[in-house]
Amino acid sequence: MPGATLSRWTMSYFAAALICLIAGLAMTASGFGYPSVPMNDPASLVVVHLIAIGWLAQLFAGSLLQFVPVIASRQLRSPHLALPILLSAMAGLLLLLTGFMGLADVAPLWTWMLPAGGILLTCSFTSLCWTVVGTLLPARPYTLPAKFVILGCLPLIGAALVGLLFTLPLSGLTGDPYLIDLVLAAGPSHAYLGLVGWMTITAIGVSYRLLAMFLLSPEKTRRTSRTVGWLMAGALAVVICGIVLDGTGSPAGWPLPAAIAAAGLAVLLYALDIRWIYRERKRKAVELNVIASLVAVGMLVACFVLFAASILIGNLAGMVMPVAYLFVFGWLTGLGLGQLYKIVAFMTWLEFYGPVLGRMAVPRVQELVNERRGAIWFSLYFGATAAATVALILDMPDMFRWITIAQLAAVGALVFEFVQTRRLAMAPAATRLPAGIAARRLFLPSFNGRSS
Amino acid sequence: MPDTLEQTNLAEQVRQQLSMVIDPEMGRSVVEMGLIYLIEVTAGGDAHILMTTTTKGCPASAFLREAIQACAASVHGVKEVDVELTYNPPWNPSMMMTP
Repeated sequence: MPGATLSRWTMSYFAAALICLIAGLAMTASGFGYPSVPMNDPASLVVVHLIAIGWLAQLFAGSLLQFVPVIASRQLRSPHLALPILLSAMAGLLLLLTGFMGLADVAPLWTWMLPAGGILLTCSFTSLCWTVVGTLLPARPYTLPAKFVILGCLPLIGAALVGLLFTLPLSGLTGDPYLIDLVLAAGPSHAYLGLVGWMTITAIGVSYRLLAMFLLSPEKTRRTSRTVGWLMAGALAVVICGIVLDGTGSPAGWPLPAAIAAAGLAVLLYALDIRWIYRERKRKAVELNVIASLVAVGMLVACFVLFAASILIGNLAGMVMPVAYLFVFGWLTGLGLGQLYKIVAFMTWLEFYGPVLGRMAVPRVQELVNERRGAIWFSLYFGATAAATVALILDMPDMFRWITIAQLAAVGALVFEFVQTRRLAMAPAATRLPAGIAARRLFLPSFNGRSS
Repeated sequence: MPDTLEQTNLAEQVRQQLSMVIDPEMGRSVVEMGLIYLIEVTAGGDAHILMTTTTKGCPASAFLREAIQACAASVHGVKEVDVELTYNPPWNPSMMMTP
């Protein structure tokens, strides 16, 4: 039977990811890392990698393990790799962060830590790609989301390998001038590969499927959607050329801005696609996760509008960090939290009510969440993110830190909502399961039932 | 052994029984959602149900299939139940009954 199952470790990925997000926001609020110190300071690198690898990458990895089988309509390849991928990512991240802390003089520095962390992370991401691509490649003909997810795996491997190369001169293991030049010049390209190349391409691809599914909108492969894919692929090729030029000691200034411009055009077309999906929906009532996703898409468009405006007014250098911040927290994190709000409820329903469906009264997925409360937390989160971006543009670091506390409070409240959903606390009384069943499986897998 | 009229009645009873099985996302029964393409009951009382899900590869498909099988089997007079999952034709929102 074509079909997918529950991913056994996805809830554990989400738990690890949310802990990293809270830790990253708490560090920023306490004045650790950017904007209290420059972006290239090792303290900033701690926070950046905690958010990028700890939060976003684990969120994406856990989601892909659950949804790639849905996209491919077949079982996940090598599902036994799910736990090793998570553990190696967490161990690698810990080593990497400890290494950066060593460079920042807040922890002892052992030279092997950064490369060892890089190797573990590269192994983790390569294994993830093996699982994802191995599941999708045999599932011909390829759907649009499948093509985007496969394309996104290439920059993920690229970002991991470039990051691994960075660790060699940063840890002092080598003084190779080409590698030093690479570290000095290719940092932004490394970030592009991870945040735009992997995460944004994957999020765009998956959202074509998920938004159409949640809104009961026809799934069409539009010409604009295909153009989005080609523009993103072209932008990736340009970025990779730029990294090669950086590594050969002849860095050029044009590749990254050219790639961002192409990605910006792709994003505008993507926003048009989302508008069509929304307008053609058969489901009139729009749930909170979709609203949050639409706000996140709006913030993605705002990133590229700000980027274009900064070029026009000749203040690109001053706007890079606010735009990057809005991209990470408005677009990727906003979309991630919005989708988590749905995925946690959906997976919880499958885990606890799927096996008793047809045998007793069961709630709707939406009855496992409290949208009224959730709407307050999402409003606080997105409002704080927009305000924090403005604080960065106006160069008000103290104000930024205060706003980060509001952001942290909103994320903490959303985590509380996720826990309540997992505990079935909002389920209507007539559909309650015996006490304690849900409480035992907050974020560790069930070893009964259909999970892979 | 049921005659043709009884077979039709049994098929209708199965359809009514399947109203207990809801689509977890929409909260409407699989019948109202248009997910049940065909219910046939043989002269021997064996039921064959052709069903789909709203999206191919839906993680709930195995649970829905089992629930439909259990519900149909609970109808008095039905012996064996065979549930077949198909995506031909694929489901689309126009297949839903108007509320």
